[in-house]
Amino acid sequence: MSIHPTASSVAAATATPPPAPPAPVRRIRQARSTRGLIMTIALLSILDAIAVFALFMLFLQEEWLLVGIVLAVTVLLNVIYLRPGWLPAKYLAPGLVFLAIFQIFVVVYSGYIAFTNYGDGRNGSKDDAIQTIVLTAQERVPDSPTYRLTVLEQFGEYFFLVTDPTGEVLLGSADQPLEPVGDFGTDSTGKADSVPGFTTLTFNDLLGNQRAITDLAVQLSDDPNDGALRTPDGSSAYLYLSSLEYDEATDTFVDRSGTVYRDGGDGAFVNDSGRELTPGWTINVGFDNFITAFTTENIRGPLISVTIWTFAFAILSVVTTFALGLFLAIVFNKPLMRGKKIYRIIMILPYAFPGFLSGLVWLGLLNQDFGYVNQVIFGGASIPWLTDPWLAKFSVLLVNLWLGFPYMFLICTGALQSIPEELTEAATVDGARPWAVFRLIKFPLLLVSVAPLLISSFAFNFNNFNIIYMLTGGGPRDVTAGVDAGATDILITLVYKVAFGEGTGRDYGLASAFAILIFLIVATVSIISFRQTKALEELN
Amino acid sequence: MTSTARIIPATRRKGFLYWARDTGWRHLIGLVMLVFAAFPLLYVLSASLNPSGTLVGSNDLFRTIDFGNYVRLFQLPQQPFAAWFLNTMIIGSVAALGTVFLGALAAYAFSRMRFTGRRVGLLTLLLVQMFPQLLGVVAIFLLLTGIGEIFPAIGIGTQTGLILVYLGGALGVNTYLMYGFFNTVPVSIDEAAKIDGASHARIFFTIILRLVAPILAVVGLLSFIGSTSEFVIASIVLTDPQTQTLAVGLYQFVSQETSRNWTIFSAGAVLAALPVVALFLYLQKYIIGGLTAGAVK
Amino acid sequence: MKVTSRSLLMTGALAATTAIVLSGCATEPEAPQFEGSLTVWVDADRAGVLEEVAAQFEEERGVTVELVTKEFGAIRDDFITQAPTGNGPDIIVGAHDWLGKLVQNGVVAPLELGDKASEFQEVAISAMSYEGQTYGLPYSVENIAMIRNTALVSEQPETFDELLELGEAAGTEYSFLVGLDPNAADPYHLYPLQASFGAPVFEITADGTYDPTALALGNEGGEAFATALAEWGAAGVLNTNITGDIAREEFVAGKSPFFLTGPWNIPAISEAGIEYAIEPIPTAGGETASPFVGVQGFFISARSENTLAANEFLVNYIGTEAVQTALYEVGGRAPALLTAFDAAASNADVAAFGEVGANGNPMPNVPAMDVVWSDWGTTEVAIINGQGDPVELWRAMVESIQSKIDG
Repeated sequence: MSIHPTASSVAAATATPPPAPPAPVRRIRQARSTRGLIMTIALLSILDAIAVFALFMLFLQEEWLLVGIVLAVTVLLNVIYLRPGWLPAKYLAPGLVFLAIFQIFVVVYSGYIAFTNYGDGRNGSKDDAIQTIVLTAQERVPDSPTYRLTVLEQFGEYFFLVTDPTGEVLLGSADQPLEPVGDFGTDSTGKADSVPGFTTLTFNDLLGNQRAITDLAVQLSDDPNDGALRTPDGSSAYLYLSSLEYDEATDTFVDRSGTVYRDGGDGAFVNDSGRELTPGWTINVGFDNFITAFTTENIRGPLISVTIWTFAFAILSVVTTFALGLFLAIVFNKPLMRGKKIYRIIMILPYAFPGFLSGLVWLGLLNQDFGYVNQVIFGGASIPWLTDPWLAKFSVLLVNLWLGFPYMFLICTGALQSIPEELTEAATVDGARPWAVFRLIKFPLLLVSVAPLLISSFAFNFNNFNIIYMLTGGGPRDVTAGVDAGATDILITLVYKVAFGEGTGRDYGLASAFAILIFLIVATVSIISFRQTKALEELN
Repeated sequence: MTSTARIIPATRRKGFLYWARDTGWRHLIGLVMLVFAAFPLLYVLSASLNPSGTLVGSNDLFRTIDFGNYVRLFQLPQQPFAAWFLNTMIIGSVAALGTVFLGALAAYAFSRMRFTGRRVGLLTLLLVQMFPQLLGVVAIFLLLTGIGEIFPAIGIGTQTGLILVYLGGALGVNTYLMYGFFNTVPVSIDEAAKIDGASHARIFFTIILRLVAPILAVVGLLSFIGSTSEFVIASIVLTDPQTQTLAVGLYQFVSQETSRNWTIFSAGAVLAALPVVALFLYLQKYIIGGLTAGAVK
Repeated sequence: MKVTSRSLLMTGALAATTAIVLSGCATEPEAPQFEGSLTVWVDADRAGVLEEVAAQFEEERGVTVELVTKEFGAIRDDFITQAPTGNGPDIIVGAHDWLGKLVQNGVVAPLELGDKASEFQEVAISAMSYEGQTYGLPYSVENIAMIRNTALVSEQPETFDELLELGEAAGTEYSFLVGLDPNAADPYHLYPLQASFGAPVFEITADGTYDPTALALGNEGGEAFATALAEWGAAGVLNTNITGDIAREEFVAGKSPFFLTGPWNIPAISEAGIEYAIEPIPTAGGETASPFVGVQGFFISARSENTLAANEFLVNYIGTEAVQTALYEVGGRAPALLTAFDAAASNADVAAFGEVGANGNPMPNVPAMDVVWSDWGTTEVAIINGQGDPVELWRAMVESIQSKIDG
């Protein structure tokens, strides 16, 4: 009977402080010590110095957007800390700055990628793609000889001085096809290494401008179809013919048979029969990825069963780990119990070892024919823990429980400390049984502080790619069913298979679109359950 | 539950049965959990003591006891285990301290102050961390490369840069944990101090933080474990073996199917778990120190 | 009073800020990075050897080589994401089957080996080639072979059936062992048996490379292999619960006369005192049971600004007998350079694996392989465990792979 009033009185005591009236605010300002002010100013000075330096560098790099952002943030921070008042901002700003830089940026970046075709074969700029195509189109003419080479320089222009296998010495440059030279010096091996009026470049001289040397093509003759000499190393040259020519005016590639490759609008050069040149480049594709996400057969087919299992997996993971963690926290929250230190340490151990190592051990333990579980615990039975659809679901949950309960145990152990002992004492004196004390007083109070963590744990498990991939890879898969989804596939693993395992390879654009959609699901569920918890009630 | 003073005489009188009902069953549960929690790790320990074994190839545990793997760990020039260990301790400690500090600041603001956007802010903190980070690594790489062009000291390849990335996650779930706990500290304490003329900073640093020590310890421990076991970002950011953490370094022993060295890896994992255990032991007195609320009054 | 002291402090703060800023600006902007600095991504195993070569290169060529140690498996994907940003490395170490992906993403530059190409094993060069271009400097070649416990079976089998008979006769717990995975089998280890039925993954074109558009898995040989898989599964010859770790432990314990595996398990086998012979894989379908050959080597980034230095470092430093031998000594993989291989072949194991590998096919390096592996493995599991008609399962797999390749 007396339990309820006690609980609510605590809630009242811990509830919102009244909004501070103006008077205390002024008092706070006055109370601000000179020492504190000096500290503030010292820290701000360092911050401003760093910011000004960054602004200076960004200014030089002409990154105007970033200049604006850095400037705005710096001014804002200065205002927050120099201006009296705005107390919440003073406490929130440090954490928020880090959050904005390292977390929000990642989210924004993923959001941006969802509207592009970024992925395998489409991961750079168009200019880079053209440059790479030109580079790889250089094919060495079959059975052509090796020319011994010396690179010369005259008036800032590079020249190739080559000695061909017959001993003939030729000179040429980018604009001037190879021509025999008469007047040259040779080294001990008979390789021409100097021409009067030209500077001979050593290997170290070449290092300063490597790209220019390796990009240099010296035509064998006036006829471009004879090919051009290029050097990969600065000391020998080979005869190359390009299999593709880029025409800047029309923005097309033409190969030797005359086939034309045009910018197909899909981030690649493509010919009429649909053959693409690699690599392509990243372009903006608008909502295409979202449309694909909704229309992909491999997602739509198994979508319902996978979604149900994803929710089941996430909810059961939270419930089991929390239940076990809480139970253990209560069990070992006994002041005079001996050896509880040891128990607690053992309980932390699963959390202290690398997760994938534990995962592999469990994989071994659950092996159908050789695992300890079947061999010893079940006396040599052949239970298909990881290869039967239902048992695999169970095993995944079991291993996740093993991996996750220490976290809940720690949190509950900590949270239990926040419940004033007087409450339980008072209730016990009033004759309440321990279970009633727990159910009616401790548990509701505990839930208030851990509910957001449970929601967050739900979200984590909803996207718990690693545990599924490590243990079953989403399997067992019914290969006769014609779908890619296995019995333990959750949404994120299914997305992974579709976005990274089909067609041209990894499609980050599609994956990001899926990520956004999944995020919307999780966020909606979280907001709803957040509303339902006392956590929010208490906020008002 | 009930105060211990009353239990002790009762125990003497009722003897074993009472003990079993009051404490004994807890030991029973403790033993069951001991098996459940520790058994899989025995494989790791067994592998670490075997000079040439596999991780799970055999159920025949502890066939050999040989500390050679532990010795060898410290003798590989390309895999400076001692340096990894030190790096992990430094990065883990700094990140944990930073997380606790930033998180506590924010939790204090959310718990004690009322301002527009507070509710939305709390919810946003939770939601931001739910975003599936498929591209997190790519984004972090781009970000740190960009930052590194201006401040090489915190770019790719630096431990400072990695710590900063970890601090990006300081607000979030941890803030909630602390927020809930801060709420249990009666506001009357702040008020009293305020009337005595203490500034808000003084109240926060000298009064509140002491009262919430248990949750600071829990968050510190969680964040320490989190940043020491983090692999994906650390492997992108830390490139020089001398700067790497245990999680990144150790994984190299087993990353390649054809040259896996489970036994050395296991030895490394066992040693790597020790600091976590030690930290827990050390923090335990804060976490379970308990009776905080009582001490306040 | 208070206000005055406050504004005084503010002025001080501004002054301090300015001072710090000015001192920051006064320091010379850092000199541009020395242009001859090479960044190389290697894994820890190889870093030791490369450190010496790097020092030598630095001394002789005046180019610093910065070795970045990365986990081998992460190199490919990190390289693909980082190279296009212009901040990637100049050189990476990698496996030849990454090549398709690397070329597709335009991150790797062709490498002209010139006359030096003939100094390498032919299979190594062809593995490092993609669509007619050579891209990497190979340094090691490896493949699996049949390991026979000579104390248990004294005779070398000619065919796989004969092997099973001999294994049976040996009276050991298993007649034959190969490491598989309960969810993905192991198409790599089972490939030689499949190849002996005349079913490679893709059609092999006249120039010895794969044609990624022509899937050969689905030919008659493939279906015959599927039927054989089902038989072996039913007979217990293949068991998907025997993982690589278990297979090794059981073979080392003398529980099987035959073990289909690669050189990486030899140290454990010889340490355990097993007398063994490394032999060609007996044919199951009549044709040669060619294993996949895996080649490892070094690639140059298409975005490298240090093309000359990178080329020089690979061809004239990594491509030397001394370095290839040193890499062999640290990793145990047979060198790709012929002179180094001949030297290493004084080790009977290397020579024996090399002989088996001479009949091998390079593992396909086309990008489509990513798609192939997963369906291939899952289907093999289903067939071995008798979850349906083997030929039908095999056909469904070929269809699924084909549709994914077509996108």
